[in-house]
Amino acid sequence: MIATADSQRRWRRIFLIVGGIVAAYALLAPLTSLDAAQSANIPLLADKFWFRIATYIVMFAVMATAWNIIGGITGYAAFGNVAFFGIGAYTTGMLIAKAKWPFLLALPLAPVLAALFAALVGLPLLRLRGHYFAVASLGVGVALGELVQNIDYDGKPVFGGASGLFLPIYAVGHRGLFFFYLMCGAAALAIAVTWLVLRSRFGYGLIAIRENEDAAAVLGVNTTAYKVAAFALAAALTGLAGGIFSQWNVFINQDNAFPIEYNVQMILMALLGGTGTVFGPAAGAVLLQLLIQFLGGSLPISIEIPFVSTEAHPIVAQIILGLLLIVVVIFVPRGVIDMFGGRTRLSLAYLRRSLRETSL
Amino acid sequence: MSAATVQLELRGVTKRFGGVAAVDGVNFQVEKGEIVGIIGPNGAGKTTLLNCISGVYRLDSGDIRWQGASIAGMAPHRVASLGIGRTFQIVRPFGSMTVRENAAVGALFGNAAGRRGVRGAFALADEVLELVGLRAKAGHPVSTLTIPDRKRLEVARAVATRPELLLLDEVMAGLNNVEIDEALDMVRAVHATGVTVLLIEHVMRVIVGVCRRAVVLDFGQVLAEGEPEVVLRDERVIKAYLGERYAKRLRA
Repeated sequence: MIATADSQRRWRRIFLIVGGIVAAYALLAPLTSLDAAQSANIPLLADKFWFRIATYIVMFAVMATAWNIIGGITGYAAFGNVAFFGIGAYTTGMLIAKAKWPFLLALPLAPVLAALFAALVGLPLLRLRGHYFAVASLGVGVALGELVQNIDYDGKPVFGGASGLFLPIYAVGHRGLFFFYLMCGAAALAIAVTWLVLRSRFGYGLIAIRENEDAAAVLGVNTTAYKVAAFALAAALTGLAGGIFSQWNVFINQDNAFPIEYNVQMILMALLGGTGTVFGPAAGAVLLQLLIQFLGGSLPISIEIPFVSTEAHPIVAQIILGLLLIVVVIFVPRGVIDMFGGRTRLSLAYLRRSLRETSL
Repeated sequence: MSAATVQLELRGVTKRFGGVAAVDGVNFQVEKGEIVGIIGPNGAGKTTLLNCISGVYRLDSGDIRWQGASIAGMAPHRVASLGIGRTFQIVRPFGSMTVRENAAVGALFGNAAGRRGVRGAFALADEVLELVGLRAKAGHPVSTLTIPDRKRLEVARAVATRPELLLLDEVMAGLNNVEIDEALDMVRAVHATGVTVLLIEHVMRVIVGVCRRAVVLDFGQVLAEGEPEVVLRDERVIKAYLGERYAKRLRA
């Protein structure tokens, strides 16, 4: 079979059209829950329950797209990006709950603080290469969550401690819709930033670092500054997601602001969708998060897994995620987006070629 | 040698690894517009010296002066921004990029003078690929290139940084005679654009063919320096590096 340029273009078009329709539906369906739509007898296409899941999915699209900047484009496997999510959440949370700032004023400080922290820890951490960086960054993510829970001043927890931090409910007409679209805005920003980076001098410098750091340096790339900038940019976008999350969720604590499993999930999403690409990580986030919600029983469609009680489904989900990570890394190293948009498509030959590439 | 045209000056450059002085008190100068060869046996410190100049290694003592100012201790990207480009002996292409993108990275960065935007950089990349004879393969992924073409690309990327001084680390190694002739033409073409060249080479034909001067290193020290024809007849050089058989052939 000859994979002609024509058939590739057709696949690409089908992919874009289907993706566009799904995205348009997902973006517009929530509008049917507005009072105006209800009084005009437009059928309800998405209820509040769905907003919550959809907002979660989009939140992961932001985090996976952000991770891609440091992990995919620059090639530094950051395993602790949840630290920036938590910093964003706690920055906004503290400003609103303790300093009584309005949400829209507190939110911009979430990415700023996350980026500053990334720059600070990035300077020493990004001197480490490969696995060493991955492990060290994981340490930062874990340590920060513990710190936030355990820092006391004058006998009182500074950040709400073990009982967490409660925020006043944000007074806005249709909260579910508001936070869904706000998160979509963050995702659009993350994707736009990625698109711009990949077309800029900065982006070429980052890819050069990923491909060969020594060669990049002698060609004139300020590798330290570039790596730190990429890390800070990823942190800013992740922090933005955290900031939105804190006001959306109204309650934050160590468990929901610094969940260690997010570290693995965002990486898996980026890998699944395609690292280094513009839309891959977001696409991976949608696919994987739907799977997680499905296995977790949050979707209306659910399955009976033999020998496993419903309560154990989340554990099964974790196991399946682990297996998926292995399969993706071995068989789809360039992500699913590579099979549709790019030079190749899914076939046995593709999987065999990938296996050859990824095995020693 | 008049001081006004000295571009690069090494003063007592020393680099140690543990107790071993890989480069040990090396002094020499390179004038603007020259092609200078560095030769010597394996382990003589040739590549270490290039790493010292390009900022990959920090000196233990001594000084390196570029156009009158010290560049010792500068990071590699700053040395590149001053107009010193280099290649690696073992080529280090950016594997996921096309040939053209590889050259464009050099054009986007490198010498701080004459930096341009993305579009301008790609235009310069095309010019440079033309110069080294890779224009026809501009759109190819690097993985499809042959070894000689990868060496050309390594040079193209360095030339795209718009250097005033180009450091070439054995770009002819592993090439056959025809390929060496092509590579020689490439070096001459680059030199003709006004670039000073300092090159490491084991192929004597290259040294004699393009270099006005040669510096011989042995055990990290300068053993001899001068016109290639003279240096290659030096008894010490023959003993340390060339061997009697080569010397006889040269005399014949």
